[in-house]
Amino acid sequence: MAIVSFPSSILKVTNLAKSFGGVKAINDVSFIVREGTVTGLIGPNGAGKSSVVNAISGFTQVDRGVVELAGHDITNQAPHRIAARGLIRSFQIARELQKLTVLENMMVAPFQQLGESPWRALISRRAVMREEREHLAAAVDWLQMFNLFPLRDEYAGNLSGGQKKLLELARALMAKPKVVLLDEPMAGVNPTLTKTLQGYISRLRDQGVTFLLIEHNLSVVEAICDHVVVLAEGAVLAEGQMNELRETEEVISAYLGG
Amino acid sequence: MSSLVFYLLTVAIFFCIYSIYGWGLNLQFGLTGILNFTYITFVAIGAYFAGVAALQPGNGGIGGQYILGWHLPFPIPPIIGGIAAAILALLVGYVGLKRLRSDYLAIVTVSVGQIVWTLIGNITPLFNGWDGLAGVPQPFNSIFQLDFNHYQWIFLVICILFAVLGFWIIERLTHSPFGRVLRAIREDEDVAAALGKNVFRYKMMAFVIGSIYAGVGGALTIAYIGAFNPSGFTTMETFIIWAAMLVGGSGNNRGMILGAFIVPVLFNEGTRFLPSTPGNPLLAVSIRGMAIGLLLILAARYRPQGILPERKTIFRLDGLQQGGEVGGDRVVPQ
Ligand SMILES: Nc1ncnc2c1ncn2[C@@H]1O[C@H](COP(=O)(O)OP(=O)(O)O)[C@@H](O)[C@H]1O
Ligand SMILES: [Mg+2]
Repeated sequence: MAIVSFPSSILKVTNLAKSFGGVKAINDVSFIVREGTVTGLIGPNGAGKSSVVNAISGFTQVDRGVVELAGHDITNQAPHRIAARGLIRSFQIARELQKLTVLENMMVAPFQQLGESPWRALISRRAVMREEREHLAAAVDWLQMFNLFPLRDEYAGNLSGGQKKLLELARALMAKPKVVLLDEPMAGVNPTLTKTLQGYISRLRDQGVTFLLIEHNLSVVEAICDHVVVLAEGAVLAEGQMNELRETEEVISAYLGG
Repeated sequence: MSSLVFYLLTVAIFFCIYSIYGWGLNLQFGLTGILNFTYITFVAIGAYFAGVAALQPGNGGIGGQYILGWHLPFPIPPIIGGIAAAILALLVGYVGLKRLRSDYLAIVTVSVGQIVWTLIGNITPLFNGWDGLAGVPQPFNSIFQLDFNHYQWIFLVICILFAVLGFWIIERLTHSPFGRVLRAIREDEDVAAALGKNVFRYKMMAFVIGSIYAGVGGALTIAYIGAFNPSGFTTMETFIIWAAMLVGGSGNNRGMILGAFIVPVLFNEGTRFLPSTPGNPLLAVSIRGMAIGLLLILAARYRPQGILPERKTIFRLDGLQQGGEVGGDRVVPQ
């Protein structure tokens, strides 16, 4: 008898709700993200996708519901504490650190650096420099993968829109996350590079990194998502694999009729 | 000794002290983006506590009344001054830095400045009220027994030592991963938080370390002048330090030295030689304020990053252990 083993859920969202004044951005959302998968989060504009990402990552306080990361309740925790648990998010509108160079943007990402303590920065210069070299090597690798290496010493504020999105993604990955929430990482990125990014995401997934991916381009979603959650008006409309969902009446009407 | 040498020594001493002030403010604002509009209050707290740590116990007579009076030898008073300023920064930081918006702290600092100024002036038993402290002993001069003119040389050496140490520390911090996090917070707090940095904690550290610079600078000031009262820490003083930072170049500690030379030394000292008008004794002070204001406007117009802007960090990449060619097996650099 074949034993079908499902990977366990690493991220679990239960009955999430959030209103801004009268607007119910998240009505009642529950879903799970299994470890080592790419889970897509799709839906029309205003469906509440970004709000869900903000809620999970601690950037908005939810009114109701529970978020669990690897079995720990992280609901409404401070963003830096959630990040410290290995959940890193990107922003829909790229938020590059403008007056830091591309390479410096990358170098901020590693968690708990020795030299981030002022005391260590003063007295343990050698150890700090050694660690910097290690991070630098990793940063250079990432930048080369994302075609950003030639721009390494440019201020991030001077990049083009697409390059900023790439840097946003590279910086998130530089943090060695367990779970990555990507809010439209491919928007504004050219088609060739989009293909390359898809390849990287799939390969990182194979190495055990878990993704929750907001993406508008459904063929990208179909190509790399193992599972897809469809949101509409702050609630889960449907779930499943993209090829099945394409046939679903509700999904079609949500996207086309609205 | 000629009066010119005497004067130049005075200027050199204040140049060192203003550089020290400036580095602290630069750490807070230039690096971290913290708006501290009452930096001089932290200078004052440092000065007062260093003063009462160095003075003999107050007897309520000519020397006035004040707390402590521990009669401690140099360099303990500056350390106490630094600690006192740090404690005030912790208190203010807990109120003002918890909130996310930086303009919230700006308002808090302005209020704190007013409150501290009024309290110190009115509660005479603290630091002798509006008359302030006087007769604070000069460091080491009980050993040297020099007259004030010759003693200036000793004090200049002390100030240079403090400035060199202060510069060394601030440069290390600025160009370390710690400084990088502070600049990340300045650019976008949310990004820093999303990368696991405890924004409140880092801002607090920057605020406290910057205030230690203020406190130690204040301690040197009172050790030099021997006296300090509330007229020494008005809003105008904060304005001068801010102007020095903005003109010299915020985010650049060398620019700060230049700013300390241009604003407090050239503009502030230079305008001392304006002829005084008998009918209007405050005219010179007003002209000084206007001159610095004009300088700021010109700097904002023609040199918004300051004369020496923040330097770009360029990493040296030679000899790195790299993971291989693009698209190689190692997708995750481990
Ligand atoms: N900070 C906010 N304040 C007020 N309304 C908001 C806020 N964030 C999101 N909303 C509203 O919540 C709804 C969902 O928005 P969002 O999560 O950005 O959708 P999506 O990312 O799916 O396009 C929208 O109606 C939006 O206007
Ligand atoms: Mg969105």
